[in-house]
Amino acid sequence: MFRTRKKDKTSAENKKAAETIQTVFNDLSASDDFKQSFVTNRHVTFCIGFYETLTEADILHKDILHNVQKAVSIEELTALLPFEDLKISEDVTLIQDALLQGSVCIHNSISNKQFCLVKAKSAKERQVAPPEVEFSVVGPKESFVESYQTNIHLIRKRLPISNLVVKERTVGRLSKTKVGVLYIEGIANKENYNTVLQRIEDLNIDQIADSSYLTQLIQDNQHSPFPQFIDTERPDRIAAVLGEGKVAIIVDGAPHALIGPTTIFEFFSAFEDYYLNWLVASFFRLVRFFAVLFSILVTPLYVAVLTYHYELIPKDMVSTLVTSRTAIPLPPILEALILELAIELLREAGARLPTKVGQTIGIVGGIVIGTASVEAGLTSNVLLIIVALAALASFTTPVYQMGNTIRLIRFPFLLMSHYIGLIGVAISFCFLLIHLLRLSSLGRPFLEPLFPLRVFDLKDALIRLPFKYQSKRPIQAQTEDTVKFNQSEAKHKNE
Amino acid sequence: MVQKEEQVSPFLVFFLIHAIQVGVGILGFQRIVIKSGGNDSWIAVIAAAIIVSAVIFILYTLLNRHQMDIIQIQKKLFGKYIGSLFGLIWIMNWILLTVTVLSSFVEIVEVWVFSTINIYVFAFIFILLTYYCLTGGFRVVAGICVLGTIIPMYLYLTFLFPLEHTHLRNLLPIWNHSIKEMGLATRDMSLSYLGFSSLLMYYPYIKNAKSSQKWAHFGNILTCLIYLFLMVITIGYFSEKQLSHHIWATLSLWKIVELPFVERFEYIGITSWVLMILPNICLLVWAAAEGIGKVVNIKQKKVLLIILLIVYILTIFMSGRERIDMMNNVSAKLGLFLLFVYIPVLSAYSFVWNKLKEKKK
Repeated sequence: MFRTRKKDKTSAENKKAAETIQTVFNDLSASDDFKQSFVTNRHVTFCIGFYETLTEADILHKDILHNVQKAVSIEELTALLPFEDLKISEDVTLIQDALLQGSVCIHNSISNKQFCLVKAKSAKERQVAPPEVEFSVVGPKESFVESYQTNIHLIRKRLPISNLVVKERTVGRLSKTKVGVLYIEGIANKENYNTVLQRIEDLNIDQIADSSYLTQLIQDNQHSPFPQFIDTERPDRIAAVLGEGKVAIIVDGAPHALIGPTTIFEFFSAFEDYYLNWLVASFFRLVRFFAVLFSILVTPLYVAVLTYHYELIPKDMVSTLVTSRTAIPLPPILEALILELAIELLREAGARLPTKVGQTIGIVGGIVIGTASVEAGLTSNVLLIIVALAALASFTTPVYQMGNTIRLIRFPFLLMSHYIGLIGVAISFCFLLIHLLRLSSLGRPFLEPLFPLRVFDLKDALIRLPFKYQSKRPIQAQTEDTVKFNQSEAKHKNE
Repeated sequence: MVQKEEQVSPFLVFFLIHAIQVGVGILGFQRIVIKSGGNDSWIAVIAAAIIVSAVIFILYTLLNRHQMDIIQIQKKLFGKYIGSLFGLIWIMNWILLTVTVLSSFVEIVEVWVFSTINIYVFAFIFILLTYYCLTGGFRVVAGICVLGTIIPMYLYLTFLFPLEHTHLRNLLPIWNHSIKEMGLATRDMSLSYLGFSSLLMYYPYIKNAKSSQKWAHFGNILTCLIYLFLMVITIGYFSEKQLSHHIWATLSLWKIVELPFVERFEYIGITSWVLMILPNICLLVWAAAEGIGKVVNIKQKKVLLIILLIVYILTIFMSGRERIDMMNNVSAKLGLFLLFVYIPVLSAYSFVWNKLKEKKK
């Protein structure tokens, strides 16, 4: 008799529990990967709900289920479970959110509406690998991965100070992406990180898939082809710029972090510059600036000179140019456009194809099409050299996004040069300068230290001076603490 | 009152003054000055610079006293209507200067580089460029002044090429001209320094404007040094008679430049000069637009469009040597009168006016 009564009681309890659970799990159970299971031990029945696809089976089996079988109540269970941040809640939306973040929800009817949430997220992530986009021969070989936790870990490892602050925000109604804004308290300007935070909070978007979404959404001028945040995959670079008083943004699921405020010159400094001797680094940097100018200007100059200004060509060079162009039926602008387009096609095809096929395409396109078009008399071999060099030069830009911009702005120059010759090139250049003058990054001038002219910041713009002269933080970031280290002490060497 | 974010550092006045003084004039100032100054013209360059410095000093005393721009000062001193009328004269002066600079440059491009260029399109693109610059505000204008000074600096190096063929003995004998001739030469020379009157408009846009005076003088000195350098080379390189045939002596100097990859260097020179003309036009149009904005309350963008339209029409209308010469004359006379006669008088008047007001109190 007793036995039957007891049985009845438990079954009634089970029923009750199932009902409460049902109200919480109502929306969730529509999905087939949402599992509910009932664990009955000697005392009580627990109901466990979780997303099979989000949770780690190991944790569930070894730690959770194992302890659930021993516990009498939720209270006892929380004491038994070996997790640091257990939550107990009755808020339905909170529970659902937690479940969607990979938590396991445990409930029993005795403890009424109390639900215990245990984090058991399965960590499916890539290993930290060497950087691919910003590869450097010397220096650390770590790069960010798609995990927020790991990325911040990589940065914190390099800056073990309490002043490094991470402010978390969630962006996207669908994607609920975690976005972290990092800065060093006491160095970074309040205005800078507050601007970033405010812009992130003001975002109204359904999902962001990568940090590049964020760049496009929160940069000062969204119609400019120039990115106004640097994206980098190097934790060492992030650590360095945080020390300079800038703000970094980490986006969950993005292997690239963002840096702001920044200047146009920073886009042309590879982080490897700091690992090399200052003379070598400065030389490389100057080469890069030359490459950019070359890449933008050389084809338009060719078109301008050959269309309008034959007089500019020195007499020794005339024969070379004339022989290469005698049999060509096209005007210089068409010739140049065809070749530039061919290069862009090659680049695009190479970028869309798997690596191995891409290489083949590069060889076929580059060598075969190039030679064939010269032999067929469609383009002059001088222009072929020029265009190929210009393309090569545009790939020297360390930040990929900027390289794309450089390749794009070449085309307006080309058209203007065809239309009004050298003057057109000069006018396009003026347009470019004015555009850069008008740009700002987090409200800070983009063309600094050229304008506003800040002689002190030139130490790390076109060239990189030795570290002992880099004792102050860049004025551009308007840091609260401007001094990096004492210069006179740094100069002094004990024998 | 101008907002703090729109203000620029005082040392930028150096570039603002220098950039606007060096424009189209520098390409051909030598002929006019040497006509009366002969081989002593280099003294006229220095004399004109000293006079200009004196005017800058007067401008600063006037502006420091009132801490506002010229339009507001005139309104304050002469009442709303007469003051505005005088303001319109300044605005006309700036618009005229703009048109002079632009049409001269268009002419140079047409004659030297590109005889088939479509003036309508060229002027239009230039106006578009100016509009894009000016909608960015005064900071961008100041920026283009800095870049327009720094980037074309390399051009001055190319004037070392004619140095090889320069006979500095041409400078001797020093001072063989009468005071009257030198006075004329100085007057003609001071035309090449014009344009700095825009200071009257951008003064409120400078942080600690009082402290910027030394920078203004430095800017003027740099201009003087560049003119001096060119003048000495020109006197040594050309004979006086030869020079009377060269409207643009500076461009003729470039003809001697020989580089292994470029045959006619003046093409590169004139092309780079776009970057030096742009600050001139931007700053002048900015001053005019700001001035109109102060006289009547219209939105800055509309004013800008109207001014640019006027400049465009006048520039196209003013093509041809005679017309440009005529306009040069008019704008020069107006500019000279305003700066060297009107401003000292105004400054004296404002001094007395201030004193009287203090006494009344």
